[in-house]
Amino acid sequence: MIWVEILSRHREVAARLRIAGDEACIGRGYDNDVIVDDPYVAARHVRVCRDEAGRLIAEDAGSKNGMFLDHGIAREARIVLDAERPIRIGHTYLRIREASYAVPGERLARARTQTWPITIAVGLSVVTLGIEALFVWLAQTAEPRASTYLTPLLIVAASVLAWVSVWAVLSRIFSGRARFVQNLLIALSGILVISLYREFAQFSAFALAWPAATNYEYAVLWSILAAVCFFHLRETGRSRLVLKGAFVVTLLALAIAVQTVLRSEALSDSGRQNTFRQLMPPMLRLAPVRDQSTFFAEIERLKAGLDMERTQARADDAARP
Amino acid sequence: MITTIQGFRGAGRVLGLVAIAVGGGSAWAAPGDPPASAVSAAERIYAAAPARLLQFRTLVAGAERQSSTGSGFLVTADGLAITNYHVVSQVALDPKTYRLEYAAADGNRGEAKLLAIDLANDLAVVHLDRRDAPFFAFDEAAMARGLPKGERLYSMGNPLDLGFTINEGIYNGLVERSYNERMHFTGALNPGMSGGPAVTAEGLVVGVNVAKRTGAELVSFLVPARFAAALLQRVRDNEAAPPQDFRAEIGRQLAARQAGLYKSFGDRGFRSIAFGPYQAPETTAPWFNCSAQTNAGATPKPRASINSMNCRSDTNLFIANDLTTGSIQLSHSYVTTADLNQFQFATFLTRQSQPFLGQPILIGGGPSLKWHTTQRCHEDFVAAAAAPNHPPLRVVWCAQAYREFDGLYDVALTAVTEDHGTEALVSRLGLQAVAYADAVALSKRFLEAVQK
Repeated sequence: MIWVEILSRHREVAARLRIAGDEACIGRGYDNDVIVDDPYVAARHVRVCRDEAGRLIAEDAGSKNGMFLDHGIAREARIVLDAERPIRIGHTYLRIREASYAVPGERLARARTQTWPITIAVGLSVVTLGIEALFVWLAQTAEPRASTYLTPLLIVAASVLAWVSVWAVLSRIFSGRARFVQNLLIALSGILVISLYREFAQFSAFALAWPAATNYEYAVLWSILAAVCFFHLRETGRSRLVLKGAFVVTLLALAIAVQTVLRSEALSDSGRQNTFRQLMPPMLRLAPVRDQSTFFAEIERLKAGLDMERTQARADDAARP
Repeated sequence: MITTIQGFRGAGRVLGLVAIAVGGGSAWAAPGDPPASAVSAAERIYAAAPARLLQFRTLVAGAERQSSTGSGFLVTADGLAITNYHVVSQVALDPKTYRLEYAAADGNRGEAKLLAIDLANDLAVVHLDRRDAPFFAFDEAAMARGLPKGERLYSMGNPLDLGFTINEGIYNGLVERSYNERMHFTGALNPGMSGGPAVTAEGLVVGVNVAKRTGAELVSFLVPARFAAALLQRVRDNEAAPPQDFRAEIGRQLAARQAGLYKSFGDRGFRSIAFGPYQAPETTAPWFNCSAQTNAGATPKPRASINSMNCRSDTNLFIANDLTTGSIQLSHSYVTTADLNQFQFATFLTRQSQPFLGQPILIGGGPSLKWHTTQRCHEDFVAAAAAPNHPPLRVVWCAQAYREFDGLYDVALTAVTEDHGTEALVSRLGLQAVAYADAVALSKRFLEAVQK
């Protein structure tokens, strides 16, 4: 006794038919054991039988479009069936298994729905909103008002919900399960990392007198966003992770490149260099206080760059008619 | 309220300034009858003026369209005339695009050639192709600075391209606390009259119309005639050809003038003034306009108080229509709070100083890439000395080079004290068109003078 399974593109079983003997004919015609409604399949396309060694094989019964193994592109006249990899005729995937096929052991049922992901999600939400509120409070220089807290917190909450919903819908479409909590966890972790990094960048720019931390902040933020997108994509299905990763990395590289170009153009248009944007309490200073002569030695070094630029600008002007 | 002294130009701006011209006219009608002798003096002076009173027009070469106008006057029989540099600046900077034409009050017209400029005093000498024309002579008393206050002066020119006019006004001495020597003329000057002569009742030139104060009535300025005479003498002494490239000459004159300005600024030195517990440097040079501000009266009541002082020198020079430079700015803000925590205070301080961090705060001639290279900045924590009376400072230094003018830079220095969580002094120094070494030396002294 053998079973013939017609698979969907996502390898889910669409139909399963039992064949009493060891031989089955498959095709579009009504004289077959298994009828496949695919216009690219011949009236009699494949014959499944046993070879001399007793293995199940599939033979092309003289179709025009031929028979293929799984995603293969080489036309096969005869395939030894391994019960795992399906054969492809027309646009249809078929898997043939014997009745003696050993299925894996049963998965153990969970006692109850797990509560820890939800607990973590709630915890993360509270932490994220708390950090946002803290930052709002630290930046509060006018009389405190409810709206100064409520507006940003609601905006954050609403955008997280919208973002997670989109990914949940995508996940539902592609993997059949919304995985809302998992997607929420990913989004919240992303937001948490972003806000912590932003504070870290501001802190470094001020405390370490290292303005590159904020100047190149955008590259890190894009990277965090890309990582978040990758994990969301992983939730939509664990297959082809390399492809998804490559896609995300390409988009990331593109985004960083575009923003770098835009920023350098803005700089050459405005001529303004970005200096530190945020002062912080003096107690946070980590960098040593420089001696005045050291500072002015740096300043003297700037001159060479300015003069070089002037020479360059003059040369450019002269080159223009 | 201190308003900027604006150099004025010709037809390009006529529309916006017509209202001022009309207002000035009606103001003249208000006082009682002028003395009969003055009326006849003006008549007499103007009757002799036409052949030697000029209007200068800058035309776009090729298109032959008028771009701007100004006035001027002949000072020699062989066709040398005086006008303002700002009247001929387009021709000086871009002789390929612009050319200069004159029209005398007697109807004569023709080409005019730029011979020499005096950037610091906003003067130019122009050559006209005229022989044996009548000309204006300089007043000897004025040359020796002997003109009495209250002397009646007559200013001539072609305001707003409406036709030649003569205006009566009063000489009110030299402008006090001014870096550039300027005569204070209480009379109406209007756009287009720049470069015209201001004469005594005898018709002798005492000054050259140059500017007026906007937002004030009849407050006008003249360049003393002795600068014009000196420039004329330079042209005569130097019979050789005028400079081929006036841009280079402008760069040289600007550099020389600025070197003198910054030397004088440095020599005057700083005196200390108190801002809360801090000592901040204030200039002793008299040619600064200072004003103080506080946010004490703001509503809603601010949670941190700001006391600030802002000083700006009156040393702006007109270089081109889109470049006025050469001024110095110095400002301090003492910010303190009893209400905000350290983080909130830092945010408040950031917001207060944000528009200025790393930016030259000077008014007029904001950095544009037409004249400047891109900005380069350096920032760090600095202490002028290890002594406890020198608090650590967060210093941002930003500089831009002038593309055209060798050795000149615009520099902005901002220093924020970093010794206390809830009070700070934000000090700024803006130096326009400064030599790098001067900027470094002045900045060092400035930072050393910020003390506690």
